[in-house]
Amino acid sequence: MNDALLSLVTPLVAALIVLTGPAMTPRRASVVVLLGSALSFVAALLALQSVTTSGATQTLNLGGWEDGLAIRLRLSPLSALLLAFTALIHLLAGLYARFSRFTSGDDFWVLSAFLHTALAALWLSADLFNLYITLELIGLAAVAMVALSGPKAYQAAADYLLLSLAASMIYLLGVVFLYSEYHTLDVIQLGTVSADSARTRLALALITAGLMLKGALWPLHLWLPAAHAGAPAAVSALLSAVVVKGPLFILWLAWTEVAPADLAREVGPMVATAGMIALVAGGWAAMRSPYIKVLVAYSTVAQLGYALMALGLLMSWQIPQMHIALWLFVIAHGLAKASLFMAAGEMQGTLGTRRLTGLRGATQTVPIAMFAFAVAGGSLIGLPPSGGFLAKWVLLEPILSQPQNWPWAFGILLGTLVSAAYIFRVVVLAFDRATINPPDTRPYLMGHWLALLPALIVWGMALLGEQLIGLLAGGGV
Amino acid sequence: MSSLAANSIILYLLVAVALVMLGLYGLLVLKDPIRRLIAINIMGSGTFLTMIAFARRQDPPDPILHALVVTGLVVAISATAFALRLILAARESREAAASGSTETEDE
Repeated sequence: MNDALLSLVTPLVAALIVLTGPAMTPRRASVVVLLGSALSFVAALLALQSVTTSGATQTLNLGGWEDGLAIRLRLSPLSALLLAFTALIHLLAGLYARFSRFTSGDDFWVLSAFLHTALAALWLSADLFNLYITLELIGLAAVAMVALSGPKAYQAAADYLLLSLAASMIYLLGVVFLYSEYHTLDVIQLGTVSADSARTRLALALITAGLMLKGALWPLHLWLPAAHAGAPAAVSALLSAVVVKGPLFILWLAWTEVAPADLAREVGPMVATAGMIALVAGGWAAMRSPYIKVLVAYSTVAQLGYALMALGLLMSWQIPQMHIALWLFVIAHGLAKASLFMAAGEMQGTLGTRRLTGLRGATQTVPIAMFAFAVAGGSLIGLPPSGGFLAKWVLLEPILSQPQNWPWAFGILLGTLVSAAYIFRVVVLAFDRATINPPDTRPYLMGHWLALLPALIVWGMALLGEQLIGLLAGGGV
Repeated sequence: MSSLAANSIILYLLVAVALVMLGLYGLLVLKDPIRRLIAINIMGSGTFLTMIAFARRQDPPDPILHALVVTGLVVAISATAFALRLILAARESREAAASGSTETEDE
C-alpha cells in the first residue's frame, strides 16, 4: 500500500513544487514533472509486485477511522496495473510535450501533474463519494488542459465543463439515493448489503447516466470530438488515453460490485448493445470526418464501444474472461490512442493543415509520424500480435464457444471492419505520392519518434500477454 | 431536536426532485452558457436538498450526509467560478474574432 500511496503523492508533490518553486521556468517545470511521473511509475510497479506476490487486496482507512466512517482506499492488482498504466502514459505524453517542437503551453506541466494525481486517487478509491470528488478533480484539470491551446478552444472547454458538471451532479444524486437506502458509501460494504429494489434501480440508473455522459460512452458522446480535437496533441493523448477511462472504472465498480448480480444480468445486454452501436456509429463518423484529429477523436468513441461491450457481457454472463478483455482493451486503446494523437499533431503541424486531404504523400514527407499512425492504427483494428489483438482474442473466445452468441460476434466483426476502413483511409492518402502536399517546415524528428514510442509498446504488449492475463485473472478484484 | 415527520420529509424530497428536474430541463433547453450554468447550480441545490432531507430522517440528524453536503458545496462553488471565467473568456475571444473578421471585410 505504501508504494501505491507514493505513486499517488509524487505527482502531487511535483505539481506543488512547480507551482511554488522559485524561478520556475517551463523547462525546469518539465524536468520536475517528468521526474515525478517516472518515480510514480516505478512506485506503481513496486505496488503491483507487492500486491501480486501477497495475492490479496490491501485496504487502508484514511485517518484510522473505523469502517463506514473512513474514506477507504483499496489496492487490488487491477488498480495497481492502472496506476502503472496512468504513470506510463503521463511519462510518454510528458516526454513528447517536452521534446516536440509544437508547444503544449507553459501550464501543461502543473495541470498534467494534477490530472495524474486525481486519476491515481480514482483507481485507489473504494468510496462512492470520494470517487465523485476525484471525478470532479479530473474534470477540472482536463477542462483547463483543453483551454491550453488558446482562445479558439475556450468555447469547447466551456461546453465540456458544463456537461462534466451536470454529469457529476447526476452521479452524485444516484450516490445519495444509494446511501439513503443502505447507510454506507463504501463499495465493499455496499456489495454485501445491496438488494434489488426500486430505489436501488433508480440510483444505479442515475449513476450510469452520469458516468456515461462523463465517459463519452454512446449515446452520450457528442461533446468528445470537439473537446479532444481542440486540445494540443499531448493533451488530446492524455484525454483519450486515460481521462475517459476513469468514469468507465466507476461504472465497472458500480455494476460488478455494488449492484446485485441479478440486476446486472438483466441490464448487461443493454450495455453491450450500446457498446455495439458505439462501435459502428463512432467508426462511421470517423470514416466521414474531413479533419485528422476529429477522425482520431471519433475513433475513441468507437473503441470505447469495445470496452462497453465487454462490460455488458461481463454483467450478463459474469465470466472472468470479459473482465480480462475489458481491461486489456482499456490499456491497449490508451497506448495506441496516445500514439495516434501525437502522430496526428506532428503531421498537421509539419504539413500545415488540419484537413485529412493534406496528408497526401505523408509516407514521403513525414514517414516516421505516418508509420506511428499506421502501427497504432493496426492495434486499434486488432491486427496480431498487437495489444488490441490480444484484447479482442480474449473477448471473442467465450463468444465463439456458444453458437447462440453470434450477434455479438457479428457486432465485433462489423466494428473491426469500420476501424480498418478509417485507418486505411488515412494510410491510402499517405501513400498517394502523385500529388504530394509539401511540408511547411523541415520535420523535427524527435517528436515523430516519441509519437512512435507508445505504438511500439502496444505491439510489445503481446509479449507480456500471458502475464497480463494472469494478473487480471488472479485479481478478479 | 427531534426527527421530522415522514410527511414533511416527503415534501422536502418532492421540492428537491422538482429542482433537479427544473435544472435538467434548463440544461437541455437553454442555449446561453451562463443560463445553463445556473441551471446546473439549480440541479445541485436539488441534490443537496435531497441529502439534507435524508439526513433528518433520524435524530440526531445524520452527520455524514451533512459533511458530504459541505464538501459538495465547496466543489460546486469552485467549479462555478472556473466555469464563469471560462464562459466569459470564450465570449471575449468570439467577439474579438467576430470584430476582427468584419474589419478585414470592410477593408
